[in-house]
Amino acid sequence: MSSFSSSLSCPTYRSRTSSSPFLSTHHHPHHSLINVVDPRRSLSFHSASPQGPNLSELCVRSQQRKSVQSSALVQDGSVATKSSPAEELKDGLVTIPTIKAENVVAESNGEGNQSTVSITVVGASGDLAKKKIFPALFALYYEGCLPEHFTIFGYARSKMTDAELRDMVSRTLTCRIDKRANCNEKMEEFLKRCFYHSGQYDSQEHFVALDKKLKEHEGGRLSNRLFYLSIPPNIFVDAVKCASSSASSVNGWTRVIVEKPFGRDSKTSAALTKSLKQYLEEDQIFRIDHYLGKELVENLSVLRFSNLIFEPLWSRQYIRNVQFIFSEDFGTEGRGGYFDNYGIIRDIMQNHLLQILALFAMETPVSLDAEDIRNEKVKVLRSMRPIQLEDVVIGQYKGQTTGGVTYPGYTDDKTVPKDSLTPTFAAAALFIDNARWDGVPFLMKAGKALHTRSAEIRVQFRHVPGNLYNRNSGTDLDQTTNELVIRVQPDEAIYLKINNKVPGLGMRLDRSNLNLLYSARYSKEIPDAYERLLLDAIEGERRLFIRSDELDAAWALFTPLLKEIEEKKTIPEFYPYGSRGPVGAHYLAAKHKVQWGDLSLES
Amino acid sequence: MATHSMIIPSSSSSSLAATASPFKETLPLFSRSLTFPRKSWFSQFRLRFFAGKHSQQLESSNGCATNFASLQDSGDHLTEEHVTKEESTLSITVVGASGDLAKKKIFPALFALFYEGCLPQEFTVFGYARTKLTHDELRDMISRTLTCRIDQRENCGDKMDQFLKRCFYHSGQYNSEEDFAELNIKLKEKEGGKLANRLYYLSIPPNIFVDVVKCASLRASSTNGWTRVIVEKPFGRDSESSGELTRSLKQYLTEEQIFRIDHYLGKELVENLSVLRFSNLVFEPLWSRNYIRNVQLIFSEDFGTEGRGGYFDQYGIIRDIMQNHLLQILALFAMETPVSLDAEDIRSEKVKVLRSMKPLLLEDVVVGQYKGHSKGGKSYQGYTDDPTVPNHSLTPTFAAAAMFINNARWDGVPFLMKAGNALHTRGAEIRVQFRHVPGNLYKKSFATNLDNATNALVIRVQPDEGIYLRINNKVPGLGMRLDRSDLNLLYRSRYPREIPDAYERLLLDAIEGERRLFIRSDELDAAWDLFTPALKELEEMKIVPELYPYGSRGPVGAHYLASKYNVRWGDLGDA
Repeated sequence: MSSFSSSLSCPTYRSRTSSSPFLSTHHHPHHSLINVVDPRRSLSFHSASPQGPNLSELCVRSQQRKSVQSSALVQDGSVATKSSPAEELKDGLVTIPTIKAENVVAESNGEGNQSTVSITVVGASGDLAKKKIFPALFALYYEGCLPEHFTIFGYARSKMTDAELRDMVSRTLTCRIDKRANCNEKMEEFLKRCFYHSGQYDSQEHFVALDKKLKEHEGGRLSNRLFYLSIPPNIFVDAVKCASSSASSVNGWTRVIVEKPFGRDSKTSAALTKSLKQYLEEDQIFRIDHYLGKELVENLSVLRFSNLIFEPLWSRQYIRNVQFIFSEDFGTEGRGGYFDNYGIIRDIMQNHLLQILALFAMETPVSLDAEDIRNEKVKVLRSMRPIQLEDVVIGQYKGQTTGGVTYPGYTDDKTVPKDSLTPTFAAAALFIDNARWDGVPFLMKAGKALHTRSAEIRVQFRHVPGNLYNRNSGTDLDQTTNELVIRVQPDEAIYLKINNKVPGLGMRLDRSNLNLLYSARYSKEIPDAYERLLLDAIEGERRLFIRSDELDAAWALFTPLLKEIEEKKTIPEFYPYGSRGPVGAHYLAAKHKVQWGDLSLES
Repeated sequence: MATHSMIIPSSSSSSLAATASPFKETLPLFSRSLTFPRKSWFSQFRLRFFAGKHSQQLESSNGCATNFASLQDSGDHLTEEHVTKEESTLSITVVGASGDLAKKKIFPALFALFYEGCLPQEFTVFGYARTKLTHDELRDMISRTLTCRIDQRENCGDKMDQFLKRCFYHSGQYNSEEDFAELNIKLKEKEGGKLANRLYYLSIPPNIFVDVVKCASLRASSTNGWTRVIVEKPFGRDSESSGELTRSLKQYLTEEQIFRIDHYLGKELVENLSVLRFSNLVFEPLWSRNYIRNVQLIFSEDFGTEGRGGYFDQYGIIRDIMQNHLLQILALFAMETPVSLDAEDIRSEKVKVLRSMKPLLLEDVVVGQYKGHSKGGKSYQGYTDDPTVPNHSLTPTFAAAAMFINNARWDGVPFLMKAGNALHTRGAEIRVQFRHVPGNLYKKSFATNLDNATNALVIRVQPDEGIYLRINNKVPGLGMRLDRSDLNLLYRSRYPREIPDAYERLLLDAIEGERRLFIRSDELDAAWDLFTPALKELEEMKIVPELYPYGSRGPVGAHYLASKYNVRWGDLGDA
């Protein structure tokens, strides 16, 4: 009963962390602790109206981490819901909030309120920190997802007072639309917990000083520490070294969130991992790929594994091709310095799109535990053929004037070398040589300065064998196959294109969508990916973070290609700013008998 | 070419016709619905085109537009047809013209077909009944029920006048050969020596079916064109009487002249059922006992007999709805893939399903009858309160039944039917409940009732036509909560055009000789064989129906029947 209830919402978090035994960052090899947690993240089943959840339900997480309790969970959980009144079921939420809270509080009273988490954002004055990390932390706080006692430290080289940091942070905080009520109050409270410490990224003394301050705030509680490294890759290792040796928690866990880039190829990535591992254990390293925190990417596994109707179709037998498409409608806009070193393939494909591909294509994992899922993802990556140069098209955007407005080309950007060959667009065909996917092209496309901004997964199904209605379908039979589209952003949606009879006398066929538009179905604001990932890191949930071997496998696929492109100085095909990208992408698709779903007339 | 533009309202579609499509002869009729001009050009080809293979009349095979021979633009290969078409004429005689169905459905449907250009250029509509009426009185009566499509109001008044001018009345007895001989003379006059096709719509009580068919066939058949007869249910009340009726009809008509109408088969979403199954890859792999847990066919009316129980009391809900409408839909749903979309191929597959079915057992049936109910100060009459119903009547106004198809595809899958009058809602839908996900990783997210967490496909035939697929989905937010959402297609929002009435489609099909949606004799026999034993038993054992209040959800017995087969009615759950 208690374990069931505690998993429902964040307000129970405080008691959970305090009572939880995960004090050490050194788990035994099977991560048994985590294994226990995962399957129970999802304990409530929401049957109808999502619009009316009470506040405590907004932050739904799994909480209990004791392996002992998990065995009792199934029975307890089902008993709990069985006894819940019918109206509650009807209302759509199987929550039982009140009983829960009591139970948890009761349970946790013994050791309550003794643990604390300190989150240090290293590189606090940077763009990502301002735009994403602090707002995400505030959102978590706002929704009651942070432990009762927590401290946030900004760390950077610039000199700043606590008040200046707070002022900076406060400018980007926003409240959930649906809970505006006490927003300002909450902001104040949150800002009071924010502090600043100025220091060099490679200075042990400065981190020692930070450690002192942290200790002060922790006030003798069991202290857990999370470092978010929002800094350039060349100082990753220095910061990790200093933080780990001078500012680790002595009695709780210490975890480090690292942002991409994780190297530029197999070699540099391995070197980075090796350096990090001098100071950190694998399970202290949280390699973030914020695409994995996106709502619809999270939903991908739910769709596949909690519905009967998709899994039978999920193979080469029914799927003709899969497309992963990422477009941005702006260029580097004066911030090309970092990008030019990496290019779109490293920036988007090798990580975000490949991660989504792996989730899409993996076999059913043994459980929803992080290690089980990551094992399956690695298997997919290792079954893939390294990408061939001939299966890649690269492009770079050039200046374009439309309607009196001039958009600069990539090399017009002052931070980009004039003769840069760095691709700002790439399309690639990938193949998974396993029993499920042999021969199915997985197409990826990513680009900047395109006509639209979006990220989506498109699954094109095969033709209907012996289709009775073939003659109703005109010339292009490819246009009549079913397609499942998962739009990750913007306007999150899932839709299945089906053939349908146009109402009327006679028999005309037509493609219609069976669709689910999130904004229509769920009035709640969808949390930012960073919120989810930060919370996961705090909770030690590694499912959405990238393990070293995944990273190695991902680089192994792209490194030969990237080397070849650079060595051969392959010249990217130019495309105008704001266009649909280089036409080469169509020829690449055609070569594999695919038609891009996003550029068809009726996408 | 000049007339061509007459029936193509939008210039964009006419340019399409001129350039893109090799099927231009089929375009005009449908060009109105080209809401997505570029995307749909490939799909404009009408199925009707192919149905022609089996019909003796080539000219009727191409759909409405081809009936206007003169409207064809540059159809070189059709010149041959032009000749015959221009000289052919169609006479539609509605026998029982003063009846309710004729007024509410048949004449309006005929007008709608005329309005949309689906009737041949030369046609005559005759009303036939015993009442003495003048032509004008008939026209007056008809005109009150005619309506125009919302989307083309402009020349509606004109069109109505034109239509009414083609309507005539002939009064006569249903069993009088002389009266039909007179009708024949009048028809000949109107036909003016052209090739004459004649369609009779029998909108009369079953006891005079045979008389009329005899008179019409002997005295008023076409001598040079076809003669077809549309017959409405009831087709008998059991295997015996139905067989007898068929035998009698066949004394005067050949099988292909008989068009047994089941207007549910003309409903848009029932038509779409085959399209969904056979033109999409994603459904057919799931269409079997491997993935489908049960199928539910549900029909509800929210009113009772309301003083018109005389006919109903003789038949009851099982004969009135289940044995025909629901069973027909079941057969379409469950049939194997036909060789082609031709009428005979489809009907052959349907018969196979019916013949593979286990006859309905009494223990798999729940019958009910509504009783009076007062609420909100208003009182609703019970079935036996209806003055046209005997006070002690045991006729079921509600029935639920579990049926099984003993073939390789469906063995063990319960097909549940439910039909009732005077229920809380009005609707007709097909619900497909899928099996549980084997080894579901998210099992623990579903709390108590896993049955609520299975996928379902719902095809809502009426009202608010729609299709939706119920899936499990993550509730957006931190954490992992599952939720059922619908991938849905609501016709009203996707297709703003008015959906034609089932009668329009069926009348047009009969005119065109398309038999796909009509019931063949062997289908009818097979359908009766399934229900006759249970019906006999119900009557012989005088089974007392479970009473349920007017406007309620029907007898609870239906739930117990469902639960016996591990099924939960989808329409009464959290849907």
